[in-house]
Amino acid sequence: MTTSEPKRRVKVKDASDVIAGVVLFGFSVVLIFYLVPNYINEPPILQSPMMSPQWLPRIVGWLILVFSILLILQGLLVEGSNEEDERTIEKGSPRRFGLMVVALAIYVTLFEVMGAVFCGILATLILFVAHPVRTWWVYSLAFVFPIVVTFLFVEVMNVPLPMMPFWF
Amino acid sequence: MENFSEVIEIFFSLDNFLAIAIGVVIGVVIGSIPGLTATMAVALALPFTFSMQPVAAILLLVGIYKGGMYGGSITAILIRTPGSPASACTLLDGYPMAQQGHAKKALKTALYSSVIADFISNIALIFFAAYLAKIALNFGAPEFFWLICFSLTIIISLASGSMIKGLMAALLGILLSMVGLDDVFGSQRLTFGSYNLMDSISFIPLLIGLFAIPEIIEFYRKKAIPHIKAKASGAGLAFSELKRCMKSIVRGSLIGVIIGAIPGTGATAAAFISYSDARRRSPNKANFGKGEVEGVAAAEAGNNGVAGATMIPLLSLGIPGDVITAIILGAFMIHGLTPGPLMFQENLSLIYALFMGIMFSSVVLLVVGNVAIKYFSLIADIPKSILFPIVLMFCVYGAYAVNNDTFDVGLMLAFGVLGYVFNRAAIPAAPFLIGFILGPMFEDNLRRSLLIGSNDLSIFVRGPITWFFIVLTVGSILLAIYRYLSTRRELRAGTGTGDEAP
Repeated sequence: MTTSEPKRRVKVKDASDVIAGVVLFGFSVVLIFYLVPNYINEPPILQSPMMSPQWLPRIVGWLILVFSILLILQGLLVEGSNEEDERTIEKGSPRRFGLMVVALAIYVTLFEVMGAVFCGILATLILFVAHPVRTWWVYSLAFVFPIVVTFLFVEVMNVPLPMMPFWF
Repeated sequence: MENFSEVIEIFFSLDNFLAIAIGVVIGVVIGSIPGLTATMAVALALPFTFSMQPVAAILLLVGIYKGGMYGGSITAILIRTPGSPASACTLLDGYPMAQQGHAKKALKTALYSSVIADFISNIALIFFAAYLAKIALNFGAPEFFWLICFSLTIIISLASGSMIKGLMAALLGILLSMVGLDDVFGSQRLTFGSYNLMDSISFIPLLIGLFAIPEIIEFYRKKAIPHIKAKASGAGLAFSELKRCMKSIVRGSLIGVIIGAIPGTGATAAAFISYSDARRRSPNKANFGKGEVEGVAAAEAGNNGVAGATMIPLLSLGIPGDVITAIILGAFMIHGLTPGPLMFQENLSLIYALFMGIMFSSVVLLVVGNVAIKYFSLIADIPKSILFPIVLMFCVYGAYAVNNDTFDVGLMLAFGVLGYVFNRAAIPAAPFLIGFILGPMFEDNLRRSLLIGSNDLSIFVRGPITWFFIVLTVGSILLAIYRYLSTRRELRAGTGTGDEAP
């Protein structure tokens, strides 16, 4: 009934640590061998290698590489603590999450085009619908808050925010 | 005696009292709004002081500063969104306390710790200004380099779960802080040709993204659960609890005073160092990070202990300790005053009037803070389904306001996703933030030391102060390794016993 196969297989104690370690290992390799040489310009003459703009990023890259290996080993050999078990969550509906992504996308893409007030109203309404909020008067807050907060920023605190295109 | 009457005459003016009161209220309100920092509030209030008397003008800004330092903790505790960078440490225990229904206790702890620390800091400002400033004056680049190294090693003890993950987060923070133009050679570092990245990554989008957005993402990703009202009106802070926290508060205040008196460091570092120190000494260290009242007290004492002390080098040497004191220095100059040793000779009455006002601001903070707890804690009773869309709006507006660019909004969201990934992978965000703050200071002092010493590395061991910090740094690393190994040994022993028991 029992076979010797399970004994030979390395049992992963914490899969997320191994995944995180592998991702960071890959990132550190890309950083050390591609990003630092290609995206950090080094002046032609240097009195000390420690003065180079590449020096600290390279050191950090090597340290990330070393610690990512340690993280992989930790994931393979050390049991995850109870604290880390709290990471598991019960996922909600994809529609709810999708609507949140839409609201975030509205802020990023339309904020300057349509203005702070319009974006604030639209994104807040979408997020209220996403949950959904069942008290009808709460939806009025989606109109009141963006107007009041924009006024507070622009008029009281002199922090410029983009206005609606048809506002002068 | 002649001076005393002059001081009384300058200080006892309605304008001064109003300036302090309004300043503290504005500070608490602004500080408690995510994305709006005390720095931004002080900067925006500066033009309003042009027509004011010098003492009233400075007291208004000091009031905003102090109110902002405390205000930042309100939203950190209630909605896990630090209103200021310095209160990022408060949320480590403040937010779990609020989730457990002890929001009022956490807010009261933050308030009393802030007021006590503020008071101690003010006393230090008045009595030890010249002495502490003299010590800080002896610090050159190598000394600062080792001081930062020591601060970085403290990150190890901040990583509550895995030391490796804490170090990894800190390294990623340091790496991110290097994005932008290199200070010495002006060469681009990891900017990928983007103009927005040349001026380095803005701190406010990073802060909001890391601490506010993951909470929002997780809320909409998780299955909706019925709203449980946060008991912000629950039990307050018992005297016995305050007494238990007193040692941490006093130690945190003194840490804040020492760090605040050293130009270039800041409230955030003080809060984390104070928190780490309290955790190390506390008999309840296992409860830190899970809703320990002493953790809130230590963090708040650390960051408020800085408030008065940052004025020490400013007033006695004319050196601003941080961004806010740099703005206050500007306010002095607008009013024709130059802080420094000469000011103690030429405007002694004005300095003492300022000291009185600064002391009075602690009392105002206590009153305003108590009122703020009553009304601002209502935030905790609002269902998250209503609160989070509004919080997101504040976050977006706050991120945009830094440079008036949607790039920062995108950056904030990117850090939000990163923060969410960190949460999922149990990588702590606090070391990441500390790494980001200390990274540029570390590199700057390293390079300055090399330039001063003409690339001779012996400059790093040039005197007793450097050796003092070297010993502290090495000691801190060894202690962290020892703690890590002994925890693992205890865990293994516990597991072994557990296995044998049945």
